[in-house]
Amino acid sequence: MTTAAISDRASSRIALLLAKHGEELARHIRRMVRDDDVAQDILQDTMIRAYRALERLAAGSNERAWLYRIATNGALNHLRSRSRERAALARHAAERETVAAPADGGGERDGRAVVLWGHVARLPERQRLALTLRLVDELAYEDIARRLGGTAATARANVYQATKKLRLKVREP
Amino acid sequence: MTADQAAAERRAVERIVLGAFVRLTGRGSAPLKYAMMEDTPVGVLGLAAGERGLRHVSYTRGEDEFLERLLAEHGDVPLLRTAELDDVRRALDRYFAGRRLDFDLKVDLSDLPVFQRRVLEATARIKAGHVATYTDVAARAGSPRASRAAGNALHINPVPIVVPCHRVLRADGSLGGYGGGVPIKEWLLEHEGARPRTL
Repeated sequence: MTTAAISDRASSRIALLLAKHGEELARHIRRMVRDDDVAQDILQDTMIRAYRALERLAAGSNERAWLYRIATNGALNHLRSRSRERAALARHAAERETVAAPADGGGERDGRAVVLWGHVARLPERQRLALTLRLVDELAYEDIARRLGGTAATARANVYQATKKLRLKVREP
Repeated sequence: MTADQAAAERRAVERIVLGAFVRLTGRGSAPLKYAMMEDTPVGVLGLAAGERGLRHVSYTRGEDEFLERLLAEHGDVPLLRTAELDDVRRALDRYFAGRRLDFDLKVDLSDLPVFQRRVLEATARIKAGHVATYTDVAARAGSPRASRAAGNALHINPVPIVVPCHRVLRADGSLGGYGGGVPIKEWLLEHEGARPRTL
């Protein structure tokens, strides 16, 4: 069998799985991850995993339930890794806060930084993370969106809201 | 969930599945949507439609076999199971219940060879309760001497029942063949009250 024939067969098999189960799996995954692009990635991954493991699926077993399991695991893995990433970002923000706090009680500039990072730490989570990624890590809005979920426009709005709040806080006597 | 939200979800879900389809299989054209009718008087039927109308009504043993057939015939087209073929289902339900024996559905025959399409178009005009001969439809398709070719074209009718090829008989009044099997042809004709008559 040629390579082309194998990939044709794979393609037909995957086409069949997608035709039969794609719609309800997509609906299920989408409800879990709440993001269409991520849902498509997970659906694709589910199909590839399913195709690779298809030979091992015993005849007569419930193909649909089996696919649901693969899809659910894919979605859960995504959600877990996202929450790990969020936790890491939160730690990162906290570390920046400590670094910014001068150990020797230095000049006025450093003092202001401590106060500022204190305000940053009290921002709502998404605004804090978006602002940190923007100002400290200097990421583009698209990259922020990719890390935090949501769109570039949401990331921009979060940074904007955060900056606005900080300006008000800093102006306060 | 409101109807709008449900429709938005359906569109988003379809985009996701089609996106996955294109990325995984390289199949990029407009999808063919299909649905199954499990318990009809003539057995399991597979239905499939594209954007331009109904393309398949198939006598089949079940979903897997129907899909294999669709894939073999439309190798490069994404297939999606759908709940949207309700108009076709309803029309067929009405037909089987005997409430309305003629169909007013959008059928897409554009992929078929010209002669087959003409034969099917001529056949579509035979009303329930009436029959015609292979020679009749060949003549109406513009080739009066091509009755055998007309028979072959009807034998591979992609949309039986809806395009009523069962209403076409031999000139001697005998039933002739039928893609879904002659007993089904007989059942359909009796259901419509069109007993095969000797000409």
